[in-house]
Amino acid sequence: MKYLPLVWRNLGRNPLRSLLTAAAIALAIALVCILRTMPAGMDAILASAAANTRISTHNEAGIVYSMPYAYLAKVRAVPGVVAAISWNWFGGAIDITKGVEFPNFAVDPDGIAEVYADWGLDPKVFEDFRKYRDAALVGHITLEKHRWKVGDVVTLQSTVFPVSLSFRIVGAVPTSTPAFYFQREYLAQALAAAGVTFDTTGMIWSRVDDPDRVGPVMRQIDEMFRNSEAITATETEKSFIGNFFSGLKQLVTIIQIVAALVTLCIVFIAANTASMSIRERVGEIAILKAIGFRKQTIFSTLLAEAGLLALVAGIAGAATAFGLLKALRVFASGAGPQLGPLTAFVVSYTILVQAIFISFFIGILSGWVPALGASRRSVAQTLREVF
Amino acid sequence: MALPLSYSWRSMLARGTRTAFTVAVIALVVIATTLFWSLIGSLKRTLVSSGSPHNLVVMRKGATNDGSSQLSLDAYQTIRFFEGIARDSAGNPLVSPELVVQPFFHTAGGTRENVLVRGVEPVALEVHDEVKISEGRMIHPSSGEAVVGRIVSKRYKGASLGSELRFGNANWKVVGILDAGGSSFESEVWVDARELANNAKRPLPYSGFRIRVAPDADMDALARRIADDPRWALEATREIDYYKQLSSTANTLYIIVAGLAVLAGIGAIFGATNNMYAAVQARTSEIGTLRALGFSRGAILSAFLAESVMTAAFAFAIGAAISWLLAIAISAALGGIGFASQTFTTNVVVLRVAPQDLFMPLALSVLIGVFGGLAPAAAAARLRPVDALRKA
Repeated sequence: MKYLPLVWRNLGRNPLRSLLTAAAIALAIALVCILRTMPAGMDAILASAAANTRISTHNEAGIVYSMPYAYLAKVRAVPGVVAAISWNWFGGAIDITKGVEFPNFAVDPDGIAEVYADWGLDPKVFEDFRKYRDAALVGHITLEKHRWKVGDVVTLQSTVFPVSLSFRIVGAVPTSTPAFYFQREYLAQALAAAGVTFDTTGMIWSRVDDPDRVGPVMRQIDEMFRNSEAITATETEKSFIGNFFSGLKQLVTIIQIVAALVTLCIVFIAANTASMSIRERVGEIAILKAIGFRKQTIFSTLLAEAGLLALVAGIAGAATAFGLLKALRVFASGAGPQLGPLTAFVVSYTILVQAIFISFFIGILSGWVPALGASRRSVAQTLREVF
Repeated sequence: MALPLSYSWRSMLARGTRTAFTVAVIALVVIATTLFWSLIGSLKRTLVSSGSPHNLVVMRKGATNDGSSQLSLDAYQTIRFFEGIARDSAGNPLVSPELVVQPFFHTAGGTRENVLVRGVEPVALEVHDEVKISEGRMIHPSSGEAVVGRIVSKRYKGASLGSELRFGNANWKVVGILDAGGSSFESEVWVDARELANNAKRPLPYSGFRIRVAPDADMDALARRIADDPRWALEATREIDYYKQLSSTANTLYIIVAGLAVLAGIGAIFGATNNMYAAVQARTSEIGTLRALGFSRGAILSAFLAESVMTAAFAFAIGAAISWLLAIAISAALGGIGFASQTFTTNVVVLRVAPQDLFMPLALSVLIGVFGGLAPAAAAARLRPVDALRKA
């Protein structure tokens, strides 16, 4: 520790070089953070879906394939199922020429409070949702985007059914879902008036009483429909969401490759600076040794110099990433669906802290070879060369 | 008098290790940028190359893609006899009614993806004339057969020619492979429209039509006539515009990647500046000598700037070559890169570094060279010969 001032002075000896190196490393670290945040956004969504007793039942053929609505009653009757609700894609659009801007579903109000107990909503909100036929629960992201508030009335024109419905927003869903939920019965009545039969559902979401029972319950549900007109596939919420984004796997691999390349960049930047500044100082190092400084001391001060520079740069880089991610989040909200949750750009402190450590270790590592060389060099030989 | 370029080139080579470090940094930035840039380029090319300039897409008004559109049978029966539609040799109108469904497919790795299955009639191949059956044959109606895109046949279980492919609660026999010149049709599966409608229990038979417009007909007039027909709320778009619109979201990705590239580029500029400063410092006496010999400040400035740009250009060449190889290796290892599409299906893109994908990385490298060399070169040019010689 007592050599810290020496290390600091050495860094300040060529301030421009130290500054440029630190800035270069900081930018690279910021990039690594941003790149690693992209797949992390996906993991965050998976982790938030950790309601490990919520399961999804859908047609084995795909979500766009339907199941008879009668399945809901059968699923509800399975021992271990606390509550179950059906979901039907409504495909509602505010402005039909703009298409569907957020997912919207007709769901059953009976059981929604149990199935989505983790939303942490006031029981009164669920009560309102049940009480009013035209009630809607809306993801807070969608509310903010469209500047709606609880109590507003919005009309959606379906792109699937020949109906247009007006809804009264009774509550905001606090999770990251953009979805808009309303009563199935409201849609059923409108369709009956339009002469359309409505007896199917796309998905059934259930809550199981005990995490240990999830597996058997899922098997039992699928077994029940094995020989019926629509074979089902039941899975946990985590598996469902994971599968939903599985197509993006290769893209994540590429992002990881690029992040690794940028990390490698830091190694070269740091190593270049370390070797430059140590090479210039060979004479001085020889003198230090000649007047009695030990090899280890010299080696560790040189290493500390490289490590300190990289550490400071790493912190600056993580801070830059923090700011940039916030900006990117705003910008990328309109980025379209191709990258799905990869452009969510949710700041993860784990990644920022990891990046600072990575930077520090790269600094130490890149200083290792030149510092070792300098500390081991024979004094006599160096002095002979220099003077 | 100017210093010859070989002076800069040799100086660059003379300080081997340090140049190598800088080259490595810039080359890595080039590789990272090129990979991303060509990935978006590949995505865009895949989408834009889908669609024919002679075709119209007819969908329900407001549908942004044929996965979210539904049309009635009577609209099809009426519109197909509109004027201006091309006809085949037998005199039948070239109108392809299509149904889009997105069932689950399973990859060899065990994951599940939604794939765009297009229910078609035999006329489809004539309307989509860029889509060819490269192996096997086209499906026969109502026989449980499927033709699969080239990428689909490699990516999913049971999708190779001659296999039984399971999707939509049924087994389908793969009788042919679709080749569409790398466009997004290669991420699709085509089956008989009626069979698909039965299988998916769709209330309405079609998602949309594709119309081949007669060579001498006015495409826009036909599109307007379809859109203005009061009986149905329809919209007709040129097929190329339809796919261009689907690819427009890729433009935002370009901006994000360009932003990241600029960030990486600035970092590389700092690295290059450091390196050139060290070069100037190491050659102070040499610069003094050159000035004493009568070389002007301008000559020194351009020599050092040239050295910096050369280093960057050299790094670009190495980086571009490595990216090109890396893209081939990635494509071989991963098959294709999956993107989510607006139809909620997986659109598979084969990563390829096209020449136009290299412009941006090249420009970036040159800028790194210029900006990284500017300050050190100016410092070199400012040196007074007397001081420079005395310092040495």
